[in-house]
Amino acid sequence: MNAQPRPKFVYVVYIVSTPEKVFAALTDEKTSAQYWSGNRVVSDWKIGSPFALKLKPGMHDVVGKVLAFDPPRRLAYTFHPHHDGLEREGPSRVAFEIEPLAGQVRLTVTHDEFPAGSASFKQVSKGWPHVLSSLKSLLETGHGMVAPWYKEAETA
Amino acid sequence: MSDRPRFHYVIYIRTTAEKLWRALIEPEFTKQYWAATWQESEWRKGAAWRVFKPDGELADSGEILEIEPHKRLVLTWRNEFRPELTAEGFSRLTYELEQQGDMVRLSLTHEMLEKPAGKSKFIEAVSSGWPAILSSLKSMLETGAPLEATRRWPEKVQ
Repeated sequence: MNAQPRPKFVYVVYIVSTPEKVFAALTDEKTSAQYWSGNRVVSDWKIGSPFALKLKPGMHDVVGKVLAFDPPRRLAYTFHPHHDGLEREGPSRVAFEIEPLAGQVRLTVTHDEFPAGSASFKQVSKGWPHVLSSLKSLLETGHGMVAPWYKEAETA
Repeated sequence: MSDRPRFHYVIYIRTTAEKLWRALIEPEFTKQYWAATWQESEWRKGAAWRVFKPDGELADSGEILEIEPHKRLVLTWRNEFRPELTAEGFSRLTYELEQQGDMVRLSLTHEMLEKPAGKSKFIEAVSSGWPAILSSLKSMLETGAPLEATRRWPEKVQ
Protein backbone atom coordinates (compact mmCIF):
# COMPACT_ATOMS: atom_id res chain seq x y z
CA MET A 1 0.00 0.00 0.00
CA ASN A 2 1.03 3.57 -0.59
CA ALA A 3 2.22 5.59 2.35
CA GLN A 4 -0.21 8.24 3.61
CA PRO A 5 0.30 11.31 1.41
CA ARG A 6 1.85 14.20 3.28
CA PRO A 7 -0.66 16.99 3.90
CA LYS A 8 -0.51 20.04 1.67
CA PHE A 9 -2.61 23.19 1.72
CA VAL A 10 -3.07 25.11 -1.54
CA TYR A 11 -5.18 28.27 -1.91
CA VAL A 12 -5.66 30.50 -4.93
CA VAL A 13 -7.16 33.98 -4.72
CA TYR A 14 -7.56 36.69 -7.35
CA ILE A 15 -6.99 40.28 -6.25
CA VAL A 16 -7.60 43.55 -8.08
CA SER A 17 -4.10 44.92 -7.48
CA THR A 18 -0.55 44.82 -8.84
CA PRO A 19 2.15 42.20 -8.11
CA GLU A 20 4.21 44.94 -6.44
CA LYS A 21 1.42 45.86 -4.02
CA VAL A 22 0.65 42.23 -3.19
CA PHE A 23 4.33 41.45 -2.63
CA ALA A 24 4.70 44.53 -0.42
CA ALA A 25 1.67 43.51 1.63
CA LEU A 26 3.14 40.04 2.17
CA THR A 27 6.47 41.42 3.41
CA ASP A 28 5.69 44.72 5.17
CA GLU A 29 5.23 44.54 8.94
CA LYS A 30 2.73 47.41 9.28
CA THR A 31 0.60 46.29 6.34
CA SER A 32 0.56 42.69 7.54
CA ALA A 33 -1.02 43.77 10.84
CA GLN A 34 -3.93 45.25 8.87
CA TYR A 35 -4.95 41.96 7.25
CA TRP A 36 -3.46 39.33 9.59
CA SER A 37 -5.70 40.13 12.57
CA GLY A 38 -2.97 42.26 14.17
CA ASN A 39 -0.17 39.74 13.68
CA ARG A 40 2.99 41.06 12.03
CA VAL A 41 5.52 39.54 9.63
CA VAL A 42 9.06 40.52 10.59
CA SER A 43 12.28 39.80 8.66
CA ASP A 44 15.07 41.57 6.78
CA TRP A 45 14.11 39.19 3.92
CA LYS A 46 17.64 38.09 3.09
CA ILE A 47 17.81 34.44 2.08
CA GLY A 48 18.51 32.42 5.22
CA SER A 49 17.55 35.28 7.57
CA PRO A 50 15.11 34.67 10.42
CA PHE A 51 11.41 35.13 9.73
CA ALA A 52 8.86 35.73 12.47
CA LEU A 53 5.12 36.06 12.57
CA LYS A 54 4.70 38.15 15.71
CA LEU A 55 1.45 37.16 17.37
CA LYS A 56 -0.56 39.02 19.97
CA PRO A 57 1.13 39.69 23.35
CA GLY A 58 1.20 36.56 25.46
CA MET A 59 1.42 34.24 22.46
CA HIS A 60 4.64 32.68 21.23
CA ASP A 61 5.66 33.78 17.75
CA VAL A 62 5.77 31.61 14.67
CA VAL A 63 9.41 31.48 13.58
CA GLY A 64 11.23 30.37 10.46
CA LYS A 65 13.79 31.41 7.91
CA VAL A 66 13.59 33.03 4.50
CA LEU A 67 13.86 30.53 1.63
CA ALA A 68 13.01 32.73 -1.36
CA PHE A 69 12.66 36.47 -1.88
CA ASP A 70 12.10 37.34 -5.52
CA PRO A 71 9.99 40.53 -5.72
CA PRO A 72 7.35 40.82 -6.99
CA ARG A 73 6.82 37.19 -7.99
CA ARG A 74 7.89 34.71 -5.35
CA LEU A 75 8.34 34.52 -1.59
CA ALA A 76 8.93 31.49 0.63
CA TYR A 77 9.78 30.84 4.26
CA THR A 78 9.78 28.01 6.74
CA PHE A 79 6.98 28.15 9.30
CA HIS A 80 7.33 26.80 12.81
CA PRO A 81 4.56 27.70 15.30
CA HIS A 82 5.57 27.78 18.97
CA HIS A 83 2.10 27.90 20.52
CA ASP A 84 -0.29 25.14 21.58
CA GLY A 85 2.50 22.59 21.74
CA LEU A 86 3.21 22.93 18.02
CA GLU A 87 6.87 23.66 18.73
CA ARG A 88 7.27 19.89 19.09
CA GLU A 89 6.49 19.50 15.39
CA GLY A 90 9.17 20.36 12.87
CA PRO A 91 8.83 23.42 10.64
CA SER A 92 6.69 23.40 7.51
CA ARG A 93 7.09 25.56 4.40
CA VAL A 94 5.02 28.39 2.89
CA ALA A 95 5.46 29.60 -0.68
CA PHE A 96 3.68 32.52 -2.38
CA GLU A 97 3.48 32.77 -6.17
CA ILE A 98 2.25 36.03 -7.68
CA GLU A 99 1.12 36.13 -11.31
CA PRO A 100 -0.09 39.28 -13.07
CA LEU A 101 -3.24 38.95 -15.18
CA ALA A 102 -5.21 41.68 -16.91
CA GLY A 103 -5.91 44.21 -14.15
CA GLN A 104 -5.52 41.66 -11.40
CA VAL A 105 -3.17 39.29 -9.66
CA ARG A 106 -3.42 35.56 -9.05
CA LEU A 107 -1.90 34.72 -5.69
CA THR A 108 -1.22 31.04 -4.98
CA VAL A 109 -0.24 30.02 -1.47
CA THR A 110 1.20 26.54 -1.01
CA HIS A 111 1.86 25.39 2.53
CA ASP A 112 3.50 21.96 2.69
CA GLU A 113 6.29 19.82 4.12
CA PHE A 114 4.26 19.12 7.25
CA PRO A 115 5.16 16.11 9.34
CA ALA A 116 2.66 13.23 9.09
CA GLY A 117 -0.33 13.70 11.40
CA SER A 118 0.50 17.38 11.79
CA ALA A 119 -1.70 19.46 14.11
CA SER A 120 -0.20 22.60 12.61
CA PHE A 121 -1.65 21.59 9.22
CA LYS A 122 -5.19 21.74 10.66
CA GLN A 123 -4.59 25.19 12.14
CA VAL A 124 -3.10 26.74 9.01
CA SER A 125 -5.84 25.19 6.82
CA LYS A 126 -8.33 27.08 8.96
CA GLY A 127 -6.24 30.25 9.15
CA TRP A 128 -5.10 30.89 5.56
CA PRO A 129 -8.57 31.35 3.99
CA HIS A 130 -9.25 34.14 6.48
CA VAL A 131 -5.82 35.78 6.15
CA LEU A 132 -6.01 35.75 2.35
CA SER A 133 -9.66 36.90 2.25
CA SER A 134 -8.64 39.76 4.52
CA LEU A 135 -5.61 40.60 2.36
CA LYS A 136 -7.87 40.80 -0.69
CA SER A 137 -10.32 43.06 1.19
CA LEU A 138 -7.49 45.32 2.37
CA LEU A 139 -6.02 45.76 -1.10
CA GLU A 140 -9.40 46.26 -2.79
CA THR A 141 -11.30 48.26 -0.16
CA GLY A 142 -8.67 49.59 2.27
CA HIS A 143 -10.08 47.51 5.12
CA GLY A 144 -8.89 44.12 6.33
CA MET A 145 -10.94 41.78 8.52
CA VAL A 146 -10.27 40.40 11.98
CA ALA A 147 -10.66 36.63 12.37
CA PRO A 148 -13.48 35.64 14.73
CA TRP A 149 -11.15 33.40 16.75
CA TYR A 150 -8.99 36.45 17.56
CA LYS A 151 -12.06 38.49 18.49
CA GLU A 152 -13.15 35.71 20.84
CA ALA A 153 -9.68 35.71 22.41
CA GLU A 154 -9.92 39.46 23.00
CA THR A 155 -13.28 39.33 24.74
CA ALA A 156 -12.51 36.18 26.73
CA MET B 1 -13.26 11.32 5.41
CA SER B 2 -14.45 10.60 1.89
CA ASP B 3 -11.83 9.52 -0.63
CA ARG B 4 -13.90 10.67 -3.59
CA PRO B 5 -12.33 13.42 -5.71
CA ARG B 6 -13.31 16.76 -4.19
CA PHE B 7 -12.59 20.46 -4.10
CA HIS B 8 -12.98 22.47 -0.90
CA TYR B 9 -12.69 26.24 -0.50
CA VAL B 10 -13.48 28.74 2.24
CA ILE B 11 -13.74 32.49 1.67
CA TYR B 12 -14.73 35.32 4.00
CA ILE B 13 -16.83 38.13 2.54
CA ARG B 14 -17.80 41.39 4.21
CA THR B 15 -21.55 41.23 3.62
CA THR B 16 -24.69 39.68 5.10
CA ALA B 17 -25.79 36.07 4.67
CA GLU B 18 -28.97 37.34 2.98
CA LYS B 19 -27.06 39.33 0.35
CA LEU B 20 -24.60 36.50 -0.26
CA TRP B 21 -27.44 34.00 -0.69
CA ARG B 22 -29.10 36.19 -3.33
CA ALA B 23 -25.76 36.70 -5.07
CA LEU B 24 -25.23 32.94 -5.29
CA ILE B 25 -28.56 32.12 -6.96
CA GLU B 26 -30.16 35.18 -8.60
CA PRO B 27 -29.43 35.86 -12.30
CA GLU B 28 -29.15 39.61 -11.70
CA PHE B 29 -26.00 38.89 -9.66
CA THR B 30 -24.56 35.70 -11.17
CA LYS B 31 -24.48 37.32 -14.63
CA GLN B 32 -22.07 39.90 -13.20
CA TYR B 33 -19.42 37.65 -11.62
CA TRP B 34 -20.02 34.12 -12.95
CA ALA B 35 -19.09 34.26 -16.64
CA ALA B 36 -22.44 35.83 -17.57
CA THR B 37 -24.29 32.61 -16.67
CA TRP B 38 -27.57 32.27 -14.83
CA GLN B 39 -29.37 29.52 -12.94
CA GLU B 40 -32.98 28.42 -13.09
CA SER B 41 -34.70 26.48 -10.33
CA GLU B 42 -37.80 26.60 -8.13
CA TRP B 43 -35.32 26.46 -5.22
CA ARG B 44 -37.07 23.78 -3.19
CA LYS B 45 -35.96 20.28 -2.28
CA GLY B 46 -36.33 17.94 -5.25
CA ALA B 47 -36.59 20.76 -7.80
CA ALA B 48 -34.57 20.70 -11.00
CA TRP B 49 -31.56 23.03 -11.18
CA ARG B 50 -29.95 24.31 -14.37
CA VAL B 51 -27.17 26.66 -15.37
CA PHE B 52 -27.29 28.42 -18.74
CA LYS B 53 -24.49 29.85 -20.86
CA PRO B 54 -24.84 33.43 -22.14
CA ASP B 55 -26.00 32.06 -25.53
CA GLY B 56 -28.86 30.23 -23.79
CA GLU B 57 -27.41 26.73 -24.10
CA LEU B 58 -27.53 24.39 -21.12
CA ALA B 59 -24.21 24.36 -19.23
CA ASP B 60 -24.96 22.22 -16.16
CA SER B 61 -27.92 20.41 -14.65
CA GLY B 62 -28.93 18.74 -11.41
CA GLU B 63 -31.41 18.69 -8.56
CA ILE B 64 -31.76 20.52 -5.23
CA LEU B 65 -31.03 18.06 -2.40
CA GLU B 66 -31.22 20.41 0.60
CA ILE B 67 -32.10 24.06 0.89
CA GLU B 68 -32.11 26.26 3.96
CA PRO B 69 -32.15 29.89 2.79
CA HIS B 70 -29.20 32.05 3.91
CA LYS B 71 -27.51 29.00 5.45
CA ARG B 72 -27.14 25.89 3.36
CA LEU B 73 -27.68 24.68 -0.20
CA VAL B 74 -26.84 21.21 -1.50
CA LEU B 75 -27.42 20.18 -5.10
CA THR B 76 -26.34 17.60 -7.63
CA TRP B 77 -24.44 18.93 -10.62
CA ARG B 78 -23.51 17.41 -13.96
CA ASN B 79 -21.65 19.25 -16.66
CA GLU B 80 -23.66 19.29 -19.93
CA PHE B 81 -21.35 20.99 -22.42
CA ARG B 82 -18.10 19.01 -22.29
CA PRO B 83 -18.77 15.33 -23.13
CA GLU B 84 -15.72 14.05 -21.22
CA LEU B 85 -17.04 15.77 -18.09
CA THR B 86 -20.66 14.74 -18.67
CA ALA B 87 -19.41 11.15 -18.83
CA GLU B 88 -18.14 11.37 -15.23
CA GLY B 89 -21.74 11.70 -14.03
CA PHE B 90 -23.07 13.73 -11.15
CA SER B 91 -21.17 15.68 -8.56
CA ARG B 92 -22.52 17.24 -5.37
CA LEU B 93 -22.08 20.89 -4.45
CA THR B 94 -22.53 22.13 -0.89
CA TYR B 95 -22.58 25.81 0.08
CA GLU B 96 -22.59 26.69 3.77
CA LEU B 97 -22.99 30.29 4.89
CA GLU B 98 -22.24 31.48 8.41
CA GLN B 99 -22.56 35.09 9.54
CA GLN B 100 -19.60 36.05 11.74
CA GLY B 101 -19.93 39.68 12.80
CA ASP B 102 -19.71 41.92 9.73
CA MET B 103 -18.57 39.10 7.47
CA VAL B 104 -19.86 35.78 6.18
CA ARG B 105 -17.83 32.60 6.07
CA LEU B 106 -18.72 30.82 2.83
CA SER B 107 -17.64 27.19 2.62
CA LEU B 108 -17.91 25.36 -0.69
CA THR B 109 -17.40 21.64 -1.20
CA HIS B 110 -17.67 20.12 -4.66
CA GLU B 111 -17.21 16.35 -4.85
CA MET B 112 -17.96 13.51 -7.23
CA LEU B 113 -20.93 11.37 -6.21
CA GLU B 114 -19.81 8.07 -7.67
CA LYS B 115 -16.38 8.27 -9.16
CA PRO B 116 -13.85 6.42 -7.03
CA ALA B 117 -10.63 8.04 -5.87
CA GLY B 118 -8.32 9.12 -8.66
CA LYS B 119 -8.17 11.84 -11.26
CA SER B 120 -11.44 13.53 -12.10
CA LYS B 121 -11.37 15.95 -15.01
CA PHE B 122 -14.55 17.52 -13.66
CA ILE B 123 -13.01 18.24 -10.24
CA GLU B 124 -9.86 19.49 -11.97
CA ALA B 125 -11.98 21.92 -14.01
CA VAL B 126 -13.98 23.26 -11.07
CA SER B 127 -10.84 23.50 -8.91
CA SER B 128 -9.47 26.02 -11.36
CA GLY B 129 -12.78 27.80 -11.84
CA TRP B 130 -14.10 28.26 -8.32
CA PRO B 131 -11.27 30.43 -6.91
CA ALA B 132 -11.76 32.93 -9.76
CA ILE B 133 -15.56 32.94 -9.46
CA LEU B 134 -15.57 33.25 -5.67
CA SER B 135 -12.86 35.94 -5.74
CA SER B 136 -15.04 37.84 -8.21
CA LEU B 137 -18.15 37.33 -6.05
CA LYS B 138 -16.28 38.76 -3.04
CA SER B 139 -15.09 41.77 -5.07
CA MET B 140 -18.61 42.40 -6.34
CA LEU B 141 -20.14 42.34 -2.87
CA GLU B 142 -17.39 44.39 -1.22
CA THR B 143 -16.54 46.92 -3.95
CA GLY B 144 -19.50 46.81 -6.34
CA ALA B 145 -17.28 45.60 -9.19
CA PRO B 146 -16.66 41.94 -10.06
CA LEU B 147 -13.31 40.83 -11.52
CA GLU B 148 -12.98 41.76 -15.18
CA ALA B 149 -11.91 38.24 -16.22
CA THR B 150 -15.06 36.50 -14.92
CA ARG B 151 -17.66 38.88 -16.36
CA ARG B 152 -17.87 37.10 -19.71
CA TRP B 153 -18.02 33.50 -20.86
CA PRO B 154 -14.40 32.49 -21.65
CA GLU B 155 -13.84 32.37 -25.41
CA LYS B 156 -11.81 29.18 -25.38
CA VAL B 157 -14.54 27.22 -23.56
CA GLN B 158 -17.42 26.18 -25.82
